[in-house]
Formats: sequence, C-alpha cells, structure tokens
Amino acid sequence: MIVTDDAGRQITLPAQPRRIVSLSASNTEILFALGLEDQVVGVDQYSDFPPSAKGKPQVGSFAKPDLERIVALEPDLILATEMHVKTTVPDLEQRGLKVLVVDPKDTMGVLKGIRLIGRATGQQQQAEDLAEGMQARIASVTARLQGTEPVRVFFELSPALHTAGPGSFVDDVIRLAAGSNIAAGAGKQWPQLNQESLFMADPQVILLADHAAGETPEMVAARPGWQQISAVKNGRVVVVDPNLVNRPGPRVVEGLGLIAGILHPEKVK
Amino acid sequence: MRGVMEVVVARPRPAGRSARLRLGRYTVAVAALLLACMVGVMVGKAPVDPGTAVAILLSRLHLLQVVPWWPASLETILWEIRLPRVAMGALVGAALSVAGATYQGLFRNPLADPYLVGVAAGAGLGATLAMAAPLPASLYSLGIIQFAAFGSALLAMALVYSLARVGGSTPITTLVLAGVAVGALANAMTSFLMYAHGDKLAVIYSWMLGGFNVTTWRQAALVAPSVLIAVLVISLLGRVANVMQLDDDQARSLGVNVELVKLVLVVAATLATAASVSAAGLIGFVGLVVPHVVRILWGPDHRSLIPLSALVGAAFLVSADAGARLVPGPQDIPVGVVTAFCGAPFFLYLLRQQKRSVF
Repeated sequence: MIVTDDAGRQITLPAQPRRIVSLSASNTEILFALGLEDQVVGVDQYSDFPPSAKGKPQVGSFAKPDLERIVALEPDLILATEMHVKTTVPDLEQRGLKVLVVDPKDTMGVLKGIRLIGRATGQQQQAEDLAEGMQARIASVTARLQGTEPVRVFFELSPALHTAGPGSFVDDVIRLAAGSNIAAGAGKQWPQLNQESLFMADPQVILLADHAAGETPEMVAARPGWQQISAVKNGRVVVVDPNLVNRPGPRVVEGLGLIAGILHPEKVK
Repeated sequence: MRGVMEVVVARPRPAGRSARLRLGRYTVAVAALLLACMVGVMVGKAPVDPGTAVAILLSRLHLLQVVPWWPASLETILWEIRLPRVAMGALVGAALSVAGATYQGLFRNPLADPYLVGVAAGAGLGATLAMAAPLPASLYSLGIIQFAAFGSALLAMALVYSLARVGGSTPITTLVLAGVAVGALANAMTSFLMYAHGDKLAVIYSWMLGGFNVTTWRQAALVAPSVLIAVLVISLLGRVANVMQLDDDQARSLGVNVELVKLVLVVAATLATAASVSAAGLIGFVGLVVPHVVRILWGPDHRSLIPLSALVGAAFLVSADAGARLVPGPQDIPVGVVTAFCGAPFFLYLLRQQKRSVF
C-alpha cells in the first residue's frame, strides 16, 4: 500500500503493521483511540495519555529519540512528526525502517491525520468513525458560536509571556472557539509577547498554560499593573491543561469544548 | 600587556590637567547613561510623546500637580513596565561590565567574562531546581526562583574557590579551571532536570533566555543593593587591582595581601553577576566587551576603569534593550542579539582605530 504522509513523501507500507512505534504524544493518543494499543510496542517519553500508554517501552524524548532502542523493538511502522523529518527520519530509513510523518497543523488537519493513520494501520473504519464523531462535535460547538463576537485571548505559556502565535495549533483552537488571539500579529509560532503590547491589546480572557510550573490566577492578579487588564478585572484568568490544546490528537475536541466554554460560557457549557 | 600595566602601577597620580581629563571622562560617561535612559523611557510599543512622558513621571513622583490628560493604561505602562525595565537594564549592564573588568584584570586574561567561574551555570541550576520542584505557589509569588538562582550562583562560586585552593593560596589558573569544571557539571545537571521535567520545559527555557520583558520594581530593588555594593567595593580596590596585574609574588612584595584581595574581588564580582543573572538571565557580550571599550577610550587604570565600566555598561545595555523594543509587531528581539549585533562591530572599529595593544 502506498500513502502520502504530512511531509509529502510517498511511502510503501505493509498492509497490516503489527509492531508500531510512536515518537509523539499526539500520535500515541490517535493509535490508542483507534484500538491499536496491543500493536504499539514503543512510545516517546511524553506519551502519557491514555494512562496505559505510560506502561509502554519508552524510546527516548520527543526531541531526541533513541535509535538503538527503536531498532531493537523491530517495528514495522514508526509514526514521526515534522520535527523529526530532517534528522531522525533519515537515520531510521537508512536502517530499513518504515516511517510515516503525521503532523496536523490545525484542528481539521487532525481529522485528516487520524484517517491517514487509520489507512496505514488497516483501521480505516475505526478512523472514519472517530473522525466523523469528532467532526460532529466540532460542528456543534462552532454552530453554537455562529455570529458570536470574538473574545480577546492571551494564552500564557510562561511567566515571561511566551505564547502561541499564528500557525500554532493552539491559535487555531482559539479561533474555532470564537476567540481572537492577541499574539496573532507576532509573525511566529512561539513568540514572547512584549508586556506593553499585552497591555495595549487588553485581553478579556487569559488562559494559563504554565500552571504546572507554578503560575496561578492569584499570581497573575498580583503582577504590578495587571489589575487594569480586563481579564484580571473580571476574574477571567483560567488555568488550562496545555496538553488538551497543544496536542493535535483526538482530545482536541475536548480542548475546543473547554476553551469555548471558558470564552463563551453563556453559549457553550 | 605587562608593560602597560607596570607603567600604570608605577606612575604617581599627577594633578592639574589630568584631573580635568578624568572629570571629562566621567562627564561623558554620565551623559551617555542619562541619554540612554531618556531613550529607554521614550522607546516602546506604546507610543508616548516626550512631554506626556515627563509629565507622567513628574506627577508620579509628586513633583507636578496636573489633571492627567493621558489614559491610566499609559501611566501603568510607563511606570510599571518601561521604567523598571530601564532601571534593571542599567543595573545589570553595570554589574556585568564591572564583573567582567574585575575578572579580566584579576585573571590577567582579556577573554575573561562574568560567567567564567561557574556563576551562570550555578544560577541556571538553582533556578531550574526551583521550577522543577513541586513547591507551593506562595513560594513562587515570593520570587523563590530568583532567590534560588542567586543562592546557587554564590554556592557555585564558593565551591569553585575552595576546590581551587592549594595550600594557603588560590592560583588563578586553578581557579579558572575549577570554574569551568564546576560550570560544566552544573550545566549537565540542569540539562538532566530539563529532560526529566518535560512539562516545565517551556518555563525553564524562557527563564534561561532571560531579558527584561517582565521586570518589576520589586526585582530591581532586590538586585540594586548587591550591584551597588559590588561596584563600590571594587571601585575602592582600584589601586590594589592595578598591583594585582603583577604576578602574585611581586604584588606580595609590594605589601598587598594577595589572597584577601583576590577573595574580596571574586566575591564582589560574583555578587553582582549572581544578582543580574537571577533577574535577567544570561546576557552575553556586555561583560566581555564594555571593559575593553573603556580601556581603549580611557586606559587600563582600574581606579577609573571600574566606575567608568559601570556607567558605560549601564548606558550600553539600556540602549540595547531599547533597540530590542524597536522592531515592529507585538514582540521584541532578544536583547543578547542586540548587544552582540551592535556591540561587536563598534568594538572591532575601536580595535582597528587603536594601533597598539590595548590590554
């Protein structure tokens, strides 16, 4: 079977892979959602969902997979991302391994990615069902938000104001949830927002994705001058689990529902 | 290099014309700093005209009674964001330049920079530990990350110093080598912590990059004492620092308590560096190059080199940070990029102008 992956490469794959290695948490989530738990023989260090994924043998970090361990697992299919294309993928292919790059850039791309993995693993029907179910849930959220005035959002990745800019997955989720990302003009995926610019944009909602590193809404409110920002004034600084909106996997519908519920509680519960 | 330094040590300080020359230097350096601060207050993402800026600052200091014609948000931006940023830029610029000048003199090495004796690596490890550990939020509000960085930087220096001690003395070469080794070890531990705490990677990484984007008055007030004390102490030791240009035995024969001076200079320079790293991360180039610029312009005498480096370093970093804010769009370029990009060509120009050895 020949498929074209997200890096635009044509790859010939075995009809029914039995030993799959995933190098990213998002693709691991897709594999598990397609009922391929038993075929997954190795995952990267950050694959932590569903919880049983943590029990799979690890093949190193997302950024630096351990080639030796991957080869030792004798996989007949490896799922990689865009980030692996220049270094890891050639290394693996030189060792005769089959690598499929799946790296959705936006919410609709996730559905495409699920269908691609479904085709590559012989789980076409499950992938179709999953993608259709997700599409229906996305549509129901966007339908309820039809014509809603977008809310200005700041998505905080670090207390030094690193955030998600245009072209990032989060940016797309915010847009679908009728939000207007105040970092949209930043011109790169992971910019550090200038603090004055943040004040001028005056976000109505602040999504705290750096809670795991200790930031809390109270700390945000205590930053000098921040009491003047609408989101702080109106108590709309909300902690979010970055993995729900950072990962282009099946849980993106949950992430979308969550963000939409935060931005427009009167329309989405 | 030795020749130049010996002349400096031996020459008695002449009065009259040269006193006026010295005054001229300080006037130029202070003027440069004031100019940089004015530019720093004017430049930013929120446009403000000079009159309004001055009015806001004066009314904030209760020196002017007017009905504000500006929006409250502009006052917040100027007073709570931009001004602390300028103040911190000046403090860090002064600290790094003085530390650089001190180490270059003490280690008799033109390539010495403030991060040489493991201070930066120590601070990085302390900050990373504080971010990785599951501490209560209240501690983070108190600035535990900055305190951890500061404390572990001093610890790293203490470790380096005691490791480098041989018998009753601390040879300079051993000190530098121990600094490099301890630094490498601390960096390796930091890398491991980052690897083991993937969920906090973005936050740790953003701390390492540093900068002045979210500087507060409180942070500036915490950093100021260390920096000012260090600059004062090292400035007062200028004459002894000149003598330290000779090798240890010669300095000793001139009546200098070599080991004590060495210790005081290293501790003071580390104090300044640790404070600035804990508040602004690693900013390269300033500590290396500013002392050389001052030497080229005004000579290698430590009595003036140290205070002039403080002034010029402050002016340089405040200007560089203003430059970092000049780019269009809601983001800055990293201040370290500006310091290197503008500083390096200027430094090379001075170097070429000067047809003799400068160190």
